[in-house]
Amino acid sequence: MPFAEDPAHLSKSRLKSDLVAHNVALPSAASKKAVYVELHLKHIDQKNAADFSSDEEDRADDKKDAEMPVPSCLTDEDLKAMLRKHGVKPGPITASTRVLYERKLHKLLQSDRRERLNEADKAVLYSDSEEEKKQQEKDQDSGSEKQPDPSDQTQKESSQCFLPSSRLAWLFKRPCPPRNTESSSNWNSRNALKSSERSQSQCSQIISTSTADHHTGLGSTVLPRSKSTDDSSLSSQYFSITQMVEEMENSSSRSVTDNACEFNGTSVQENWAQSDRPPQEPVKDAFKDILPGSKTTPTGIYVTRRRPIKGAAQRPVQYSYPDSPVSPMTQQRREVERYLVPIHIQILVFIIVACVLYLIYVNVEGSLSYWSYGEDRLLVQAESQDAEADYAQD
Amino acid sequence: MSSTSQKHKDFVAEPMGEKPVMALAGIGEVLGKRLEDKGFDKAYVVLGQFLVLKKDEELFRDWLKDTCGANVKQQGDCYGCLKEWCDAFL
Repeated sequence: MPFAEDPAHLSKSRLKSDLVAHNVALPSAASKKAVYVELHLKHIDQKNAADFSSDEEDRADDKKDAEMPVPSCLTDEDLKAMLRKHGVKPGPITASTRVLYERKLHKLLQSDRRERLNEADKAVLYSDSEEEKKQQEKDQDSGSEKQPDPSDQTQKESSQCFLPSSRLAWLFKRPCPPRNTESSSNWNSRNALKSSERSQSQCSQIISTSTADHHTGLGSTVLPRSKSTDDSSLSSQYFSITQMVEEMENSSSRSVTDNACEFNGTSVQENWAQSDRPPQEPVKDAFKDILPGSKTTPTGIYVTRRRPIKGAAQRPVQYSYPDSPVSPMTQQRREVERYLVPIHIQILVFIIVACVLYLIYVNVEGSLSYWSYGEDRLLVQAESQDAEADYAQD
Repeated sequence: MSSTSQKHKDFVAEPMGEKPVMALAGIGEVLGKRLEDKGFDKAYVVLGQFLVLKKDEELFRDWLKDTCGANVKQQGDCYGCLKEWCDAFL
C-alpha cells in the first residue's frame, strides 16, 4: 500500500481490490467511484494509520535490532557501510571477497557486543540510586489498579525467564522483552506490588531486557529500561542480578552468534518463530555442542584437560618408560629368534668344538709318531734279534 | 629477519609473467592443484585476488585457507612472496 497516495487517485478496480484485500464489504457493482473512495478512506486508511503507529513502535525496536544485522543479509553497499563504520576500508566486494568481508564484519560485531555488555554490566551496578528515586516518583504519581493481573503475568514471564541458561532457554526468553516492556509500563503507572514479586519480576525484566539487549547488542538501551523498572529492593539483590547478568553474558557470548544470525532486520518476534536459520560455520560447532545440552558449564567456558605436568603432585616423574612401540617386522623377527640359538652361543660352541678337535688332532699326531717310533724300535729289535740268531747259527 | 626460501627468492627476482601458481612460495603440488581446480591456474590470478583484497594480510590468509586449505606457514609464505613482488614490481 502506498503511503501518501490519495485513494481518489487510484482506479476503481484498484480500490476494489484494496477493499477486498482488507476484508471490507464491497458496495454494489454499479456504485460510483466516490463510494469506493469513501469506503477506502474509512476502513483502509484508518487501518493504515493504526498499522503505522504500531509499525513505528516496531520500527523503533527494529531499528535497534537492525544495528545488529546478519552480515549475510546485507547488500554489498550495506556491508561496505558497516565495515566503514568499524574503521575498515574494504576493497571491492565481489563474489570471491564477499564471504571474507562478511566474516570480518561478524567478528567486529561480536567484539562490539562484548564491549557493550561490559559497559552494561557496569551501568547496572552504578545506576541503582537513580533508579530508586525514579521509581519512588512514579509510585507517588500512580494509583494501584489490578495488581494481581500484571503480577501473574510477570510471574509467569519471570518463571519463563528464569529457565536454565541453555540454548533453548534463550529461544524461550525471546517473547519476554516485548511483553515485559508493556507490562513494565503498566506497572509503573499502576504502582508497585509486593517487594518480592516486584523484585522477582524486575529481575526477570532486567535479565530479559539485558538478554534482549545482548541479542540486539545494545548496551545503551539497558540503562533506560533498567532505570524505569528497578526498585529499591534491587539494591539489596544486586549481587544476584549481577551474577545472573554475568551468566547471561557468558551464555550469550556462546549463543549470541547464533542469535545474531537468527535476527533479521524486520522483527524480533517473527524471527523468533522462524529460528531455523543455520548459524554461520565457525559457530556451528559450539551450537551443536550446546544444543544437546552435553556441556553446559555455568561460566560458559569450555576447557579441555591439559596434559598433566610431570613431577606435579600425584604425578611422579617416570624414569623408566614402558617399551617403545615396535614395528611388526621387528616383532616377527624377535619371535623367530626365540626358537633359534643365539649367535653368541653358537660362536662359543664352535670355538670349543674347534679346540677339542685340535687337541684331539695334536694328541693323535703325538701318539702316532710315538707309535711309529715304537714300531721302528720293535722292528729294529726284531732285526737285531734275527741278526743275532743268524750269528749264532754260524 | 626471517629467512626466505629459494622459491621465494626466485619468484621475487623477476616479473611473474606466465608462471604457474605452483611457482608461488608456500604453494606446492597439492595446494597448486587445488587452486588450479578453482580456476586460479596462474600466479597472476592469485595476484589479482591479492590485489582485490587490497593486499590485506588477514583477508588474504583467510581466502587462501578457504580456497586451498593452506596452513599458517603456507599462508604466510605466499603472502610474503606476493607482497614483496608487489613492492618490487607493482
